[in-house]
Amino acid sequence: MQSKLTDIELINQSLAGNQAAYADLVKRHQRFVFTLALRFSKSREDAEEITQDCFVKAYRHLSQFQGGSKFSTWLYSIVYTTAMTFLRKKRLDTTSIDNEDTYIQLENTSSGLENNLAENKSRSYYVNQAIAQLLPDDTAIITLFYKGEQSLEEIAQTLNMETNTVKVKLFRARQRLKDKLEHNLKHEARELI
Amino acid sequence: MNAIEEKLWNYIDGNCTAEEQQAISILIDTDEVYKQKYTELLQLNADFGAMELDEPSMAFTYNVMEAIRAENALKPLKAKVDTRIIWGIGAFFILTITALLVFVLASINWQQSGNASPVELPKVDFNMPKISDIFSGNIMRGFILFDLVLALFVFDTFLRKKLNNKQAE
Repeated sequence: MQSKLTDIELINQSLAGNQAAYADLVKRHQRFVFTLALRFSKSREDAEEITQDCFVKAYRHLSQFQGGSKFSTWLYSIVYTTAMTFLRKKRLDTTSIDNEDTYIQLENTSSGLENNLAENKSRSYYVNQAIAQLLPDDTAIITLFYKGEQSLEEIAQTLNMETNTVKVKLFRARQRLKDKLEHNLKHEARELI
Repeated sequence: MNAIEEKLWNYIDGNCTAEEQQAISILIDTDEVYKQKYTELLQLNADFGAMELDEPSMAFTYNVMEAIRAENALKPLKAKVDTRIIWGIGAFFILTITALLVFVLASINWQQSGNASPVELPKVDFNMPKISDIFSGNIMRGFILFDLVLALFVFDTFLRKKLNNKQAE
């Protein structure tokens, strides 16, 4: 059962030393933070490590949260920085993460991909699969926009970019996602025939 | 086609002005290309919005709170000292010094400031010891030796830290 208190109320209680309040805050945001971390790291173990690191960092610096923006925006900026540092440290791929021609496959989904029949898969499965093939920046923008309830201004704040840059990046990310989705669906249809 | 899509995405996201919105709305109603593209993008928008969030492991919240507790337990005592106490001590000293200064300045007779030497300083008979006498003493030699050992210890600690950082990377 999750607390009905607002994020700010839970933060104030956490700052007063109530750790249960922070646990509620973690429960409230963990799914989204984990999804975002998974989009970057492409591995559940790494994503869990990043997510845990983010929440510990957020707790450590909770007193620095001014309340000028949403707590989620502040938290997501920590996720973005932590995930980027993690990726750089781990050097998951030898190619640059900024290379637009590089697409990374999701570790856990590839094994069962061929075995599943198209009729068993929902459209959201294909969307998730296509998102996993996008670049980290693209996936971050798409996820923040559609699932993080973040406006373009808030995404810009999280990713430390200009609002117009985010707008252009969102448009391009949606284009790539659409192309990937169409490609994957065509590939699936060909396999069935 | 990209220009049409860009316009339509702005329309769907609500990122255009009222005039633009009206113009695009008319285009969707009248132009078949716009209408078809709009339906397609609307479907995609719904698909993107319906994607599922992933779930971390069952014990995730517990693990986070355990990590926080462990971090708090490991915190050195000096980091646990309330900063308000430090500020309080600092404020006490500042106030005392200020009060003393005010008292001293208030007790000076400023009327005599026109004279050549208003304040007579007491004469102190102080003989400066010779530096060569200090350096030749056994105590000084012992002190220099102690300093040398201390410097070597600090240098050793620095090298150890550097090595540890390298290994951590």
